[in-house]
Amino acid sequence: MKQLALRDIVLLVMLGVVFGFLYWALVQAWNALAVAMGPAGDLAQHVLFGGWLLVAPLAVAIIRRPLVGVIAEVIASVIEVVFLGSPAGPTLLIAAALQGAGSELPFALTRYRRYGWWVFAVSGLLGAGLVFFYSAFRAGWYGQEILFLRLGMQLVSGLVLGGLLAKVLVDALRRTGVLDEFAIGRADAALNAPQRVG
Amino acid sequence: MTAITLAADPRAPLARRNPTVKAALLLVVSLGVILLDAPAPLLVLWLIALAVGRWAAGLRWRTLLLAQLPFLLFAVGVVSVNALTRPGEPLLDAPVHASAEGTVLGVAFALRGFVIGTGTIAFLASTPPRELMTSLVQHARLSPHYAAALLAGHRMLEAMPERWAVIRAAQAVRAPLDRRGRPRSGVGGFARSAFALLVASIRSSERIALALESRGLGDGPRTIWRPVPLTRADALLALAVPLAFAAVVAACALTLGWGAV
Repeated sequence: MKQLALRDIVLLVMLGVVFGFLYWALVQAWNALAVAMGPAGDLAQHVLFGGWLLVAPLAVAIIRRPLVGVIAEVIASVIEVVFLGSPAGPTLLIAAALQGAGSELPFALTRYRRYGWWVFAVSGLLGAGLVFFYSAFRAGWYGQEILFLRLGMQLVSGLVLGGLLAKVLVDALRRTGVLDEFAIGRADAALNAPQRVG
Repeated sequence: MTAITLAADPRAPLARRNPTVKAALLLVVSLGVILLDAPAPLLVLWLIALAVGRWAAGLRWRTLLLAQLPFLLFAVGVVSVNALTRPGEPLLDAPVHASAEGTVLGVAFALRGFVIGTGTIAFLASTPPRELMTSLVQHARLSPHYAAALLAGHRMLEAMPERWAVIRAAQAVRAPLDRRGRPRSGVGGFARSAFALLVASIRSSERIALALESRGLGDGPRTIWRPVPLTRADALLALAVPLAFAAVVAACALTLGWGAV
């Protein structure tokens, strides 16, 4: 496999930095809320879960190369642990790799050619679903009476925040013109190029 | 802005060890901790992690204990959820049902967070990002492209709060005013600012890539500035940590029975 261009690697890091920063800001507010909610706070984490998935579908849709989703998630988790000091530590890297793999799978199955609503929706579902079993093991959710409630909340969140929202963001970014020099922009340009007739 | 304003002694014993070795050991210990679900060995491991943070990483007690606060908040939620949602002997029946088994498990799961979190703090406090990246390139065959991009990302992260403030200020100028004449900013405003930050950052990522390329990155093999050593002491550490972990688990199993592990 050809190595990623430096431009693409820096973009992956930058996505990790921006979302890392936004999450960091969000988590500050979130922690206070979670404490105020007591036991419900532990359950409510699943509502926002999908937000953590965003980086992978964005990266795949922009760069359109195999493994980009997994790499993007792992880079984002390295930034969260090493630069932002997330106490989840190395267990976060494993979760990130699983999230990336789940999110990337539907794009890989369509050979990185289809970027419609359905592919993003399945991406969000799988991104949230695959990592759930690892998280459940790590955090000891098995044996709790609310295991399926957790799974359901996480899947819905993955679908909406980690799938459909990613599609909205990609389309909005594309309209700004900032993606013109990446694979997604080149694909658009090829589509809009004047067709030779005859 | 980051949590890594951890004031640690750069001459501390752990600060002189190889970052790749430390990162690998932290990963191994974390995975080992996930396999334990009884409070006793986890409590011992937490005390050891605190000692490592204090004496090996050179953190002050104050810093170290303040850093435990987030884990404590997390622990409250975990213990209560497990107590309330697991079947077992009632510990408390009114006003709500809480089981003894659930409480013990909850305490164990919360302690996992304390052990991994304290270990991560000790690692971060004793490992400057540049040395970690250099060492990963030298000893873990990380591509220098990723290392350079990540270090550039570190700089960008430090600039993020300022960028954010500029965007927020610019949008406040144009925001509609509320009854008292102050700019209105709700969730929608936050989302617009976040999107502006994303667009500006993607633009600057292209400029950074150009800057790195114009300095010759991606132009064949590179030398390393200030290489990080990998010594016999690192090999000793790599042996000692898993042995200590196994010893704690074995000691708890022998004194309290295998059920207590």
